[in-house]
Amino acid sequence: MEKKILTSQQTGDKCIYLKHKSGLDIYICEMEGFSSVEALFGTKYGSVNTMFKMRDDKEYTVVPEGIAHFLEHKLFENEDCDVFELYAKTGANGNAYTSFDRTCYLFSCSKNYQESLKILLDFVQKPYFTKENVDKEQGIIGQEIQMTNDNPNWRVFFNMLRCMYHNHPVKIDIAGTIESIAQIDADLLYKCYNTFYNLNNMVLSIAGNIKADEVLAICDEYLKPCEDKGLETVFPDEPDSIVQSEIYETQPVGTPIFHIGYKCTPCDRQERLTKNIALSIASALITDASSNMYQELLKEGVINSSFGSEVFCGDGYFSVIFSGESVDTKKVRDSIIAEIKRLSAEGIAEKDFQRIKKSMYGALIRQLNNVEVVASMMLGAYMAEVSPYDIIDTVSGMTSDTVMKYINSDLNENKLVMSVIEGTDND
Amino acid sequence: MKYNRTELSGNIGFTSVIDEKFKTANITVRFMTKLSKENASANVIGTDVLTYSTRNLPTLSKLNEELSALYGASLASFSVKKGDVQILGVTSSCILNRYAIDGEDVEGKVLSILMDSIFNPNADDGKFDEESFNITKRELLDRIDAEINNKRGYALSRASEIAFRGEPAEFTVYGNRETAEAVTSESAYSAYINILRTAPIEITYVAPEENPSVMEMFRKNFAEIERVPETVDFISASPVKPEVITESEEFDVRQCKMVMTFKTHSDNKYALKMLDTIWGETPVSKLFINVREKLSLCYYCATRTNSYKYSISVDVGVERANIEKAKAEILHQLDEIRNGNITDEEISNARLSMDNAFSSIGDTPASYSSWYFDCLCNGEIITPQEKFQKYAEVTKEDIIDSAKALRLDSVYIMYDKE
Repeated sequence: MEKKILTSQQTGDKCIYLKHKSGLDIYICEMEGFSSVEALFGTKYGSVNTMFKMRDDKEYTVVPEGIAHFLEHKLFENEDCDVFELYAKTGANGNAYTSFDRTCYLFSCSKNYQESLKILLDFVQKPYFTKENVDKEQGIIGQEIQMTNDNPNWRVFFNMLRCMYHNHPVKIDIAGTIESIAQIDADLLYKCYNTFYNLNNMVLSIAGNIKADEVLAICDEYLKPCEDKGLETVFPDEPDSIVQSEIYETQPVGTPIFHIGYKCTPCDRQERLTKNIALSIASALITDASSNMYQELLKEGVINSSFGSEVFCGDGYFSVIFSGESVDTKKVRDSIIAEIKRLSAEGIAEKDFQRIKKSMYGALIRQLNNVEVVASMMLGAYMAEVSPYDIIDTVSGMTSDTVMKYINSDLNENKLVMSVIEGTDND
Repeated sequence: MKYNRTELSGNIGFTSVIDEKFKTANITVRFMTKLSKENASANVIGTDVLTYSTRNLPTLSKLNEELSALYGASLASFSVKKGDVQILGVTSSCILNRYAIDGEDVEGKVLSILMDSIFNPNADDGKFDEESFNITKRELLDRIDAEINNKRGYALSRASEIAFRGEPAEFTVYGNRETAEAVTSESAYSAYINILRTAPIEITYVAPEENPSVMEMFRKNFAEIERVPETVDFISASPVKPEVITESEEFDVRQCKMVMTFKTHSDNKYALKMLDTIWGETPVSKLFINVREKLSLCYYCATRTNSYKYSISVDVGVERANIEKAKAEILHQLDEIRNGNITDEEISNARLSMDNAFSSIGDTPASYSSWYFDCLCNGEIITPQEKFQKYAEVTKEDIIDSAKALRLDSVYIMYDKE
């Protein structure tokens, strides 16, 4: 268990990394002067992991949509009590979330962090699923699904993914559907737990007012060694093409909401990080309030300040998304296509490139002000299989040539989809 | 950490919080004015337009170019409601000069832009620049229309309107479509000038090192304005309606929302907050354990206190068939507290939860700024530790008395279409 000190060349910020003897990856950032602590215990298991096997299994197991999220809910119930009751005794604020590629259990606190860390490490390693407690959860998660179905920002995003992906499970709702969660039982939950909650597939990320030696002593006491059983997750073959170019839904909303996305070629590790930053800069150039396109659309009343962009990527999926509100979504789409063609033909103005790059660098510096963000950054680096400060170094080293390379290779009009939520009569 | 507050002149306070752990310099200017239907929208547009352009950077394009070149420094406006008071403001944040790759004076330039936005707005002949005004006004109209996008937020807003009808707090901080439509460039400018002259003002500076020029620039600029400051009252208990009012609307939604607003005349705000925490604010609260976990009726059922109006609202997302069942359980759990069914453990857990929350204040620049501003709104500047002590002194009997004094005032229900 050799501790490595990871350092940002740009800012001098440091964190500790080590591979624990139990198989767990651990990131620790001692932040002097801060009072709070943020700890995340995460597994590389999210809504996209619906098909998997271990090294010794002959066949792949296929599980119902939404099971990773269901498991997250159920892990909060111990045999003796609810985990929230344990956190209540330390005062920590405990929570959990499931996303496309990960499930994370977390707490934040400013006192008794060692006791809270023991609770976190202990309960995540002690599943307790029964028919009764699984049945009970169906109603609660059913209401969570209905709540998200009424959220137009959620719907517009998933409708876009369904237009983009033929087979990749990124298109399914993280919580599944009322029908899919009805297929979940205790045995299936144990199967998923025993597969994905192996410490060789997990990470602990902790930042703030902590001491590394104290954290590691608790890890030594609470982590149960795990044999690496050779987990394999697979995804169905995904064609390069899109499914359909447009989708419309009605819901009570004000101005129509849109997501316009380019389906791009997926990639991994450092290449994914480089491409992510390059296309984040490219899309920021388009949605930047100083761009000609933004100015024209704003003055014509076609967009408002909600217009923005993001890169969305993970195992087997990568897209660049433009989102906002508009009374003329087709005009927004046509303008984005035209602007990308222009950038492709004329190149990027070096002055604009440097400005956006500086802005992105400044945002990263500001994030290092925040305990919660630092813990999330370290966990995100583990999930993406890069080093925590790689993002700062990659931004610093980015060139306009690299941005142009990805604009030309990945922002293809034939792989553009548009999802719109329009208002109903009674809004 | 070093805290210092200076009164610049009549009703203008300057709070400086120096904490060396931060990497950014942050300034927030808050103007306080009584919330009113007549002025709400004009006040919001009048301050929002300040961050769209300035006289020296007269278009959004130029202002944005300058800010992004300053390492993505932020300049933003905001508007919030606390009780019957509308709080409008402008805030800036930037990285410290020591982190600038090319050695630029980032802090100085951002301070200068902030000063321009407040004291040198893009206006002439008693009105704002036409393009800046038109776009800012349209942004507000879009924001008002988009309130329905967030169903939970919309339900809480409607519940507030019903509960505080006849009081300033019944209005949203933005006004409504009608009042926003009526704002002209002249009325927005006039509203802003009025705010500059009459609103009590609080400025906070949070950074790792002292910068006396910040306070001096505010002092100098405000000295040139003929101030006639008014007073605002944050604490304003809302009267309980003689009969419980229930109002509802129907929308094309899959999940119904219910918000129940309770009010009290008891002025023990610390006991009210402890009651709120035990009843429904945490995952070990009575509502979470019973309405969600035991009865599986919902994903969320939570309470929140409006300490300025002495009220507590309970909101739940639930299917139509379970609305009455949820309502009965919410009331039953309040009765449990009224009957003294609170354990020492529940009280201890509530205190621990608050202790943890208070102890983390100061870990972000925004938390310092909000803490000291909220202290001023509540009429006492105390440390988080001193405030926690007040909660620690609340007894079980105080919590029971607080529950007994609570009365259901009104109910809002968003139904799905049958």
